[in-house]
This record gives sequence, structure tokens and C-alpha cells, in this order.
Amino acid sequence: MSRLLIVFLSVMLSSVVAQADHHIPNLGEKATEFKDEGKEAHKRDGMSHAASLILQRKMHPELLSHKRDKTLRQGVRGGVIQLNKCVECHTSVDKNGEFIPVNAPDQFCSTCHKKVGTSLDCFSCHRTTPAEEM
Amino acid sequence: MKELNRRDFIKTTTATSAGVVTIASGITLTTYAARPKESDPVTNEKRWGMLIDTNKLTESNIDDMVNACQEEHGWGNETHSTGDQKAGWIKKVKVKDKATERISNLALMCQHCEEPPCVDVCPTNASMKREDGIVLVDRHLCIGCRYCMMACPYDARSFVHETLTDQKTHMPRGKGTVEACTMCVHKVDKGEAPACVASVNSDAVVFGDLYDPTSKINQTLKKVQSTQIRADLNLNTGVRYSGI
Repeated sequence: MSRLLIVFLSVMLSSVVAQADHHIPNLGEKATEFKDEGKEAHKRDGMSHAASLILQRKMHPELLSHKRDKTLRQGVRGGVIQLNKCVECHTSVDKNGEFIPVNAPDQFCSTCHKKVGTSLDCFSCHRTTPAEEM
Repeated sequence: MKELNRRDFIKTTTATSAGVVTIASGITLTTYAARPKESDPVTNEKRWGMLIDTNKLTESNIDDMVNACQEEHGWGNETHSTGDQKAGWIKKVKVKDKATERISNLALMCQHCEEPPCVDVCPTNASMKREDGIVLVDRHLCIGCRYCMMACPYDARSFVHETLTDQKTHMPRGKGTVEACTMCVHKVDKGEAPACVASVNSDAVVFGDLYDPTSKINQTLKKVQSTQIRADLNLNTGVRYSGI
């Protein structure tokens, strides 16, 4: 009986720890400012802000890969869907005022990607911090 | 006069009709801006090309071109790559006529062929030609097999052998993929000239739309003698040379 109780308690405890672990990802410098100002990022027409954010969260690979083919193969440039714009808002700054790569551990991209166990390949080629001249 | 057989007849007529299309699109170009918005796809009404005059191009000009390219795209400071592994998007090449001993220096980069062998051999369709004639590598699809490097008669492509960081925002580069001159496609799409062309002050390097009869490159090509390197391969390169 006591063994059963121990198993039960440990399951309870681990679920509590898992809950505590579920923190909001580090949004990044500009994105946090944006959110604090009460602005609605990623808002789509005819959709609530919450729904737009869910769409962005679920669909960002599809949105990006669709745009990347159009840009590279057809020369379509501009628009809101650009990987460098993701990086621009979602990077954080360290104590020395330097940008931390967006794919570094505990940064915006890697928090979720690590959690769901999906690879993050964009940044083996793409720049991980905002452009130098900024 | 040579008597045409059926096959030759078809060949000639196709070539002639293609010429008409080119002229026709050239005429439309003078009336309409081909690409008014950056959100419009590029079309085959334009073909970007370059004319390099080796008589006017000095050796320091070529060095400037190489440096401008390196600065624009961020290649050339790979620390672990040695010898042939090093990136070389644009190179200084010395050609010597054995009979006359005349030496000319030229800048050699991707020639942006109309019939690119690199595109023919690519197993994943990563090596591709845009509608406006710029030949690129889609690094999203590139598996790093390097067939295109073998196929290229100009040795224009290089392979990234090491992990890179701090790439330029407009020019992603990464280990395990092939890369080459992009004719500064990011600048061309904004209506600017490629970095190497902008670095030369004289008119030794002319860049523009080969199809547009009002463009400087089109008019110069009509006047001066020019050649394609390895013209015997019938690749119809976008980069032409005069003075060699």
C-alpha cells in the first residue's frame, strides 16, 4: 500500500514540476516592448489576436517556407513574412548590450523547439542576430 | 547554298522565332516598366548581363571587385578551409596568348548561362535559373553533392566546408552547401548594380538588361567586339568579355 502511495505522490509531484516548467518563451527585446505597449503583433484580418497568435505559432514554418520559395525563385521581396524580421524582434540583449543568437538555449526559437523535439535548421545558414548596421 | 534537311529547317525556324520574341519583349520594355513592384515575380522580359572590357580593366580594378564581393557577401574569412576549399565567388584570372605572349587579366565569376550545366546536373533542383537569367543555388534544397561544381566549365562554384556564424542578413551561407556569385540578386531586385560593378569607377564593367535596346550594355554589345568564354559550349553566358 505504502509503495502505491509513493508512486502516486511522485506522479503528482512530477506533474506539478512539469506545470512550473511550462513558462512563456523568452519573447525577445523588441517583441516584449511591443507587447508591453499593448500592440497586437501578428494580428490577421478577420481573426482575433489570440487566434492569430495560435496560427502564427502553429503555421510559421509553412508561412516561411512558402515565402522563401517565392523570394528565391521568383524574386518576390518585401512583405511581413521575412525571417530577418522574426530575428529582429525576437532576439534578446545580454548584460553587455550584445545580441544573443535567437537559436541559443533558452532563447525565443529554441525554447519551443526543444520542448517539442523538432530540429531548428534555419540558422545553420541564416543570421541569428539583427543586422550589424542596426 | 547548303540544302536544308527537315531537322535543320526546324532548328532555324525556332531560332528565328525566338529572336522575334526577344525583340518584341524589348519593345514592350521601352513602354512599360517590367517590374513596378518588388512583390511582383521577375519575368523573362529581362535578362541581366555584364560586359567586362579587359583592355580597360586594370589589375587593381579586379582586386577592388573581389574585395567588394567579399564585403558584400561575407565570404573569404573562413578559418578552417585551406587551398581549394576556400570560397571564391569571383577570381582574378590571368590569360596568356602563347603565340603573342599578350597577357590579359580578367575577373571570372559565375557566367549566368542561359543553358546552365549546373542546373542540368542538379539532382534536387537546388541549382536553378531565375526567369531573368540569374543562376542561383537554393540552399534550402542543396544536399551538397557538388555535381554542379563538377559540371561548371568556369569553376565558379565553391562549397562551404565549415560552420559559419555572423552571415550577412541578405546572404545566408552555411556548411554543406554550394554557393556562387548571385549577381547580387538582392541589389538587382532593388534596382541597384552588383557590388563588383559599383566598385569599378571606369566603364570597364557594364551591367544591365541584355534585352533592353536602350540599355548601355545592349548598345555597347552592338558596337564593340565581345566574346563569351568557352563559347564553343553554346551556353550563351550572361557575362561577356571584350578585349580577349
